[in-house]
Order: sequence, then C-alpha cells, then structure tokens
Amino acid sequence: MTVHAALAYREAVQEALAGGFRFAGLYASEGGAVVRAALVAPDGTVAIESVAAQAGVVPTIVDLAVAADWDEREAHDLYGVHFDGHEPLRPLVEHDPVLARWTVPVRGKDVYQVAVGPIHAGVIESGHFRFHVVGDRILHLDARLFYKHRGLESAAEGSTLADGARYVGRACAACAVANGLAYAHACEAALGLEPTPELTRARTILLELERLWSHLNDVAAVCAGVGLAAGNNHFAALTERARRLNAVLTGHRFLFGTIELGGSSLELDAGTVRDAREELDAIRVATERGWRELQFNASFQDRLPDIGILGPDDVERLGTVGPAARAAGVAVDVREHTLRLEYPDFQPRTPDRPDGDVRARLDQRILELRQTLDLLDRLLDGPVRPTGSTPTGPKAACAEGLVESARGATLCIVERDGDRLTRVHLRTGAYANWPSVAYAASDNLLPDFPLINKSFELCYACADR
Amino acid sequence: MLTLLRDLRRLRRAGALPRPDHGRSLAIRHVDVGSCNGCEHELTLASSPYYDLQRFGLGVVASPRHADLLLVTGPVTTRMRDPLLTAYEAMPEPRLVAALGDCALGCHLLGTPDALVGSVDTVLPVDLRIPGCPPTPDAIATALLELVDRTSR
Repeated sequence: MTVHAALAYREAVQEALAGGFRFAGLYASEGGAVVRAALVAPDGTVAIESVAAQAGVVPTIVDLAVAADWDEREAHDLYGVHFDGHEPLRPLVEHDPVLARWTVPVRGKDVYQVAVGPIHAGVIESGHFRFHVVGDRILHLDARLFYKHRGLESAAEGSTLADGARYVGRACAACAVANGLAYAHACEAALGLEPTPELTRARTILLELERLWSHLNDVAAVCAGVGLAAGNNHFAALTERARRLNAVLTGHRFLFGTIELGGSSLELDAGTVRDAREELDAIRVATERGWRELQFNASFQDRLPDIGILGPDDVERLGTVGPAARAAGVAVDVREHTLRLEYPDFQPRTPDRPDGDVRARLDQRILELRQTLDLLDRLLDGPVRPTGSTPTGPKAACAEGLVESARGATLCIVERDGDRLTRVHLRTGAYANWPSVAYAASDNLLPDFPLINKSFELCYACADR
Repeated sequence: MLTLLRDLRRLRRAGALPRPDHGRSLAIRHVDVGSCNGCEHELTLASSPYYDLQRFGLGVVASPRHADLLLVTGPVTTRMRDPLLTAYEAMPEPRLVAALGDCALGCHLLGTPDALVGSVDTVLPVDLRIPGCPPTPDAIATALLELVDRTSR
C-alpha cells in the first residue's frame, strides 16, 4: 500500500472528495507512524489513503471533511498523532479533567450549562452530555462518550484472525451481526476468500433479522421519548417477538456467534423457514396495526415535526449515515452496492416528507421495516444449509469490509501479518452519527432532547469500543 | 389505542411468571459500567408486556437516592469505577448490589488491562449474580423476584 507524504495525502483526499467520494473513517496504525483515511466512492468501492507521520505530525483533513473530526481526535488521544491544522484538537477518548479543554467556552448573557450523566435516569448506556442552555433552549451540546472504552481494538492485536471476531462481535450487542460481518468481509477480502451464493444468502438473512428487532426497538424508543406508554409497549412486545424468533432460528436472541470467518453453520430446515415466514407475517400485521394507531394519535404526532432537524446539507457536511441520512432525503445505503451480500436491485428508500426531523426519522424506520420484512420473506424461501467460501480472490495485507447496520454504514479495516491481526479498526454507524445528534440538538428545547436522541437511537458501546 | 392496550394485557397473562401477590417491592437503579448494550436491551424488555416487572412491585427508579438495588451491567471500565462508587454511596441502607450478565461477573472479559478494572465484585460487595450473555428478560425477572422473596422473608 502506498504511503503518501503530507502534501500528496491531502491532495489525494481532496481529489477523491471532489470526485464524489464520502469520508468513511480515519485511524492511526503502526503505533502512530501511519494514518489511514478511508473514502467510499458513489459505487460503493472503498479507497484507503495513507500518510506517514513526520515526528508524530500529519496534516489534518478536517477542513476537507468535517466528518473526520472525531476520528482525528481519537487517533491523537490513543496514538499521540498530532494533526497539523486541526485547531483546537480537543480531547475525545481521553477524559481530560479540565472542563475548558474539552468543551467549547460558554459565552453570552444568561447562558448556563446542564450536565447529564454519565449515569442516566432510565435503562440507558453510560455517557455524559453537557448542554449550553439559555432558558430552555439548547445553544450547543458537547457529548463526552468513551466511558465504556474497553480498548477492544488494541486487545485484539496479536490474536488470530478467527479469534479477532470475538472482540469485534462483543463491541456492541445491537450491531453484533453488522460489526461481525464488516470484520468477516475484511478478513475474507484479505485472505482472497469469495463467499458462495449460499453464504451471501445466510448472512443477508442474519443482517436483516438484526435490523428487524433493532428498528422495532427504535419505534418503541420514540414512543417512550414522547411518553406514549401504549405505543412503547406495543413495539416493545414486537421487539421481544423478533428476538424470540432469532433464538428459534439461531439459538441466540441477539444472533451472537452466527458470523464465522469464511463460512456459515446456520442450518434451517423447510419447516423452520416456513414457521419463520409465518411469524414474520404476523409481526408485519402487528407493526402496521401499531403504526396506524400512532399515525392517528394527534397528541403523539404533535410532538414529532420540526424538532431535531438535520437537513441534507448537514448530512453531507457531517458525514451522517443510515436512516438518519435517508430521513433527510440523502439516499445513501451500503446495501445498494454490496457484492458480498444478497441485495439484488436494492433501492434505498426515503420518506415522503424527507424533513430530517424526528417525524422523518420515525417514518424512515417504518419504511425500512417494510423493506426488511419483504427481504426476509424472499430470502427465507427455502432451507438454509451450512456453506463456505472459495479461495479464488487476490490476497492482501490490509483489507476492508463495509456493511449497512441498523444505524448506518459500518466500516471495518483489518491489517494482518499472516494469520495474526496487527491492527483492526471498527467505525460503526453510531460513531459516524454521534456528532450529528449533537448538531441536531442545538436550537431545540432541552426537554425535547431525549426524544431527539431516541430518534437517532445510537449505541454508546459501538462508539466507545 | 384501547384495543392495543387490551391485547397487551393478554400478552402479560400468557407469560410463565407467577401471579403477583401483595407486599413486594424493589426500587432498582441500573448502572452500565461498560457493557455491550445487550444486558440493557434485555433489561428494558423485562418491563415489556411479556414480563411486566412493575406488576410485582419492581421498578427502575431514576436516582440511587431512593433505590434498594444497584443493578450493574458490564465489566467495570476504569472510567466508570468512580461513577459506580458515587451511585452506591448515594444509596440509603439497607442496599443491595446485583451483577447482571457474564461481563459483570468477570467471565471472558475482553479489553486491555488499563481500560478495565474487572468484575463488579472487585469494586462492590455483590448480593445477587445473574449469569448469561446476555441474561434473557425471563432470567432477569426470575432472579429479581427470588431476591425480593429471599430478602423480605
């Protein structure tokens, strides 16, 4: 892999962005001696541009791609790389005790701060939010995550490629299949393994089963954010049904252990897939019934429009991915181009009112639930048998996998020395979208923040790793 | 909306958990100290119509100040050790601690030594251990109900 000098690196990134590539991730490798930036082309191919650090310094690209903000701050905190031109380079993973170093200064008449977390009032993951507020209106939000940082990426270094799957798989339960698949795709691309058609089918079933429970959970979460117990309970019950179906099909409610390198041991006989399709039909009917109730509940609907707005320009600038991007009318979806999964003629959907507000993000979940149920109905048209890969592709020391999780594009990059992992980097949809949540919250009322947050429903575990 | 509510009540009655009796209550404060979010998702569903822990007098409360039980998920990360202790110290006596899930119990922990402190019982005295990766809502509900019966005897 070519490693650019400083100037050529910026030029390469600039040229790719001008050619319609989207920023997809950046990380430090070789102990901080090299920084690699990943960019995705409109046709879904990934380009990786590397730059060598000169005395620990590389040029920033945050002026070219705002979405690189968190990535550069993380590379600085974990590997000591300094990004020339990224000012101020605030701590992100590192928890600096000096407030002024990691938040923006509070200025103006009657401005005050509201600090929330790391422990929240409900059953919620740990993270700290610091709101700058005037009256009830949010001026700015600094999200301090990484309370759950377990050092999974460094811990995985040195293990075998097969063993590395454990670290990536346990990064997040809600994205276990998506993260595991991104890792498996990266390893298989590095080893020159091509999936058989049966393998692409088995894995697509698993990925859509994950999206099914996740999106049902997200609809329940928005109802909870409004305080509509009936809607919350209806969709929570459907989430439970979807997880029970996962347990019937794979032996695990969160599909843990189903993604293996190079193959799949998923085995479903004709009777099991027939029963699964019947249950999925029942879930579809109940979803539509619940959705109809929500649509005609005026006090619920009144709470959704015009809050937490993230427009198409914001999406492009901040590099937002997944349902949050599509709800703003930006039809980006990895499933449209992926070759290692079975999505023939897949078309990303956007809502009728792509306003980028809480309502649009909720509408988008329903659209995608229908799409997922259609896909599963088609994919489960016959028995599923254990299958593998064919060793026909070119091998590489560094390769990537890109998968659309329930929260958006998830990139995994694997660097190896033989069968040993020398570096693994996971950039999930949740990681990509946290800055968008903070941006969408500003200029809204503080009591609306839980609802805005729920409309994104991002994982903390995925971001913190 | 009323028909939805009637159907949800039916789901609850169809469950395998025992019928609620009177005189039980447990105020639970949940603290995530570094989980993968699996235990949180299952704990959330323990309050869903299929299990409905509230009908047994068990509920998640917003503050440790009025909690009987600290329900801890995940391996304790170095960053969450102090917030966990702060929450515990804010609880009134008598107080209980439950470790929820294999990570909280210290099984197969993944991470670097400088990022992880270890299992919950290296930081706090643990009264109840609920194994599983993650434990199902059914297992969570059953374990919590047994704890209430054991401690109120």
